[in-house]
Amino acid sequence: MIDFSRVQKELQECSRDIESSGIRVTPKSDNLGRLTGIIPGPTGTPYEGGTFCIDITLPDGYPFEPPKMQFATKVWHPNISSQSGAICLDILKDQWSPALTLKTALLSVQALLSAPQPDDPQDAVVAQQYIKEYQTFVGTARYWTETFAKVSSLGVEEKVQKLVEMGFPESLVRSTLEAVGGDENLALEKLCSG
Amino acid sequence: MEESRRDQVLENPVETEETISDSFVCCVCLDLLHKPIVLPCGHIVCFWCVHKSMDFVRESHCPFCRHPYNHFPTICQMLYFVLLKMYPIASKRREDQILEEEKNTGNFSPLLNINACDSHTNQEYDCQRHLSCSSSTTKKFNLILEPCPTIESMQQMELNPMNQDTGMYIPIQNSDMNDEVTKSNESDQIVSPTYEPNEDCKHVSIVDLQCAACKQLLFHPVVLNCGHVYCQTCIIDRVEEMLRCQECQILHPTGFPKVCLEFDHFLEEQFPKEYALRRNALQLKRQPIKNENQNSCSTKASKSCSLLHSNTGEQNVQSCADPQSKVHVGVGCDSCGMCPIVGDRYRCKDCVEKIGFDLCGDCYNTQSKLPGRFNQQHTPEHKFELVAHNRSRNIFLRLVAGYFEDLTTLTSFDDASEISENEFLAPILSGDPSEGTENSSPRGTNPEGAEDQNWSESIS
Repeated sequence: MIDFSRVQKELQECSRDIESSGIRVTPKSDNLGRLTGIIPGPTGTPYEGGTFCIDITLPDGYPFEPPKMQFATKVWHPNISSQSGAICLDILKDQWSPALTLKTALLSVQALLSAPQPDDPQDAVVAQQYIKEYQTFVGTARYWTETFAKVSSLGVEEKVQKLVEMGFPESLVRSTLEAVGGDENLALEKLCSG
Repeated sequence: MEESRRDQVLENPVETEETISDSFVCCVCLDLLHKPIVLPCGHIVCFWCVHKSMDFVRESHCPFCRHPYNHFPTICQMLYFVLLKMYPIASKRREDQILEEEKNTGNFSPLLNINACDSHTNQEYDCQRHLSCSSSTTKKFNLILEPCPTIESMQQMELNPMNQDTGMYIPIQNSDMNDEVTKSNESDQIVSPTYEPNEDCKHVSIVDLQCAACKQLLFHPVVLNCGHVYCQTCIIDRVEEMLRCQECQILHPTGFPKVCLEFDHFLEEQFPKEYALRRNALQLKRQPIKNENQNSCSTKASKSCSLLHSNTGEQNVQSCADPQSKVHVGVGCDSCGMCPIVGDRYRCKDCVEKIGFDLCGDCYNTQSKLPGRFNQQHTPEHKFELVAHNRSRNIFLRLVAGYFEDLTTLTSFDDASEISENEFLAPILSGDPSEGTENSSPRGTNPEGAEDQNWSESIS
């Protein structure tokens, strides 16, 4: 059984300093075992300006087992699979410690965006590009950020329209968008999960 | 339950739960520390949080700083009772919550009971659990738990009437201990009648926070494996060859423990005057001998400690990696807490608890009479058997550890009957599924050891 009282505490703690960290964690459903993390792309990197969603699944042993994290937003990074969004980060594997939290783990993921480790790649193609053609890598990463991680460029009405076109009722779209703070990806996810 | 709750409220005009200082929030469960354990690195974690985060194949690591340790330390009773006084409402909630979990898993943490604390715990369980404590009477429990007020503590009680109400003072003055100890006379000053406790913490007095050696307010507290608390200087100064707790005469198995900083900050905050007095007194005392004495003593102490005691951290670490060693995966010693047991393992044949009762070779030979770590009703009359080291199993474990990174596969492959006998592992494997199987899947590399040879023999 997941220690839900601890997860609750983590969520409270996280929402308290959302302003300073920019990191947000919201439960996907009533079950606290599945959550969504949102991290802003670090400044001074090709990911700057992007908002990245991360799917979080808590294993039964949490916090004695690491949370399972995977990028929901497509991202071009040597340590993140461009296909599946799988993250190669030691603290999410053998270096996990029960004193780490979802927030600290997401902060580490954010730090990974700033400091790629091409020697220990998750995505070999990206890692090769990072090592051999760094400029191309930066270009691709920036393009992916612009394409997949920039939701704020759209106005609210555009987002609503986009989601309504996908077949969701407008009132539901508006309330969902509001609930997730205007994040289009999150809203879509929430709408899809019902 | 309802009644005791009301009592609590009467004692505390504030009905809502106390705000808990960050110093006393467990880094694992993010709640008030419950039955706190101070690890050798000085970090404080709840009893079950330590247990659940332990590795049962290799040495374990502090959840906070990853400092390695091989022995599951005993609960720090001093901190436990201090927290009980400071946060009665939150403590009660935690007590109930943990008891509920323990009932589900069928494994219990040790009962820490002083007469007046009964109201804090479920009566039915008290009776049952108290049995085991009283049956295995240890010096430790007698010394600490029986209220036998000395003159000094009586003085203190008059000044702090709250103590009488709760009856939860910890009189640790014990005259026959004093002659062993290097003492200074500042104590008279500190325990002076003019003493006034800090407003924020009127329930806790200096009597609750005294060094087991010098009987003064703790300064730079260190907590030994047995859970007793000393000033760092009181231990460094000792010329004895091994670190042995004066309170319970139990050897501290690993190297010199680090100062528990959270505890130290708390002392400084709550008793600024007395803390400053202690600091000044110690600085004066230290000055002339600082260069030669302090350093040589501390290094000597730790060196000889590791040389003489066969279970020291360094050697245990080596032995875990030593191919010749006998590692009893998932089994811990109920006396010294060594986990996993390396070397001979003796299992109690008469303990009926699911979690079992095991001793390491050293503790078996020294006839340890400590109660079990999980409130087993073990008595000295119980018979032990030497558990043969399962050589093939170890080879298997090594192979599996070598080939599969994700060792969750291990448990499904493994000989489940053997594992369920394994004491430290038992609560996780056979208990409530909510406990998870996190630790039952030994992570990372496995001790290479597979030879049926005593590791201590191979060292000599």
